[in-house]
Amino acid sequence: MIFITGGVRSGKSTFAEKLATQKAIELEGDLHYLATGVPSDEEMEKRIERHQQERQVSHLNWTTWEQSTKIETIASSFSKKDVVLLDCVTTLLNNELFSQKEWDTEILGRLVRGFETIQENCAELILVSNEVLWEGISGNELVLQYSRILGHLHQALVARSDHAYLVESGIPILMKGERQ
Amino acid sequence: MHFVTGGAYNGKRQWVRDRYPEAKWISAYNGSPILAELDAPVVVLEGLEKWVRENSYTREEWKRQIEKWLNWENESSFQRVVLIGTDISKGIVPMEKEHRGWRDLTGWVYQDVAAVSKRVDLIWYGVNQTIKG
Repeated sequence: MIFITGGVRSGKSTFAEKLATQKAIELEGDLHYLATGVPSDEEMEKRIERHQQERQVSHLNWTTWEQSTKIETIASSFSKKDVVLLDCVTTLLNNELFSQKEWDTEILGRLVRGFETIQENCAELILVSNEVLWEGISGNELVLQYSRILGHLHQALVARSDHAYLVESGIPILMKGERQ
Repeated sequence: MHFVTGGAYNGKRQWVRDRYPEAKWISAYNGSPILAELDAPVVVLEGLEKWVRENSYTREEWKRQIEKWLNWENESSFQRVVLIGTDISKGIVPMEKEHRGWRDLTGWVYQDVAAVSKRVDLIWYGVNQTIKG
């Protein structure tokens, strides 16, 4: 597992796609793109479209899977030579949180198991997420709970990753693991 | 002095616990006052940003407080202060003047703490990066 995070427009998705392509060439496996975003407006649609075009110009073929919740259900679609890129973890968390009526205290464990299941069924799972825990968190209980879940989720994913990167202005900073 | 910083919910507490299991723990999050007596060999002061918000100290007054901790530390080579402060500096500029003031002062206090600390670690989702020392 490889974990990549960064702020908005930091270049994290571009870096993740480059890394995934390199891995797929090394492993002679297939590239899979696990899209978690549900287009909610025109801007979002354009953004998704732009990312799709970028993936098309690379000489390797990507298979795109749209899975906004319960990612483990498609784990059997991959083989042990495949590279799976999931973009992004925060969207998946939001989808899982907002797909239920009540606050689910088991959500953290369930999400982590989902990622583990995918990793067990492929060669490398590359995760992209957002850096959002850097401001003075307000006293709003919902925001606090959300931040806590996201922080704990990121900690759990970094702990399970062989490599973890923080991308700043397009530059990937290796935070965990040996230089590849 | 050892300063540990990083974003909220990044695992700072766990990281410090693992390294200083014997430490006496004083936390702003439990409502402890900042001037609690330092009376154990290793004292962890957690939640510096909260103390900055709650006390009416100026930057100069904070500098004097930091100096007091340093003096205590210098009494014996076995004494150590570990300060934990959440980084609150990287969001959008807050609307409220009071909030901006808190954020500014916290940043200055962190700079002053880091300047005199022997070691500074940045914690990112449980992984540390030693940025000084």
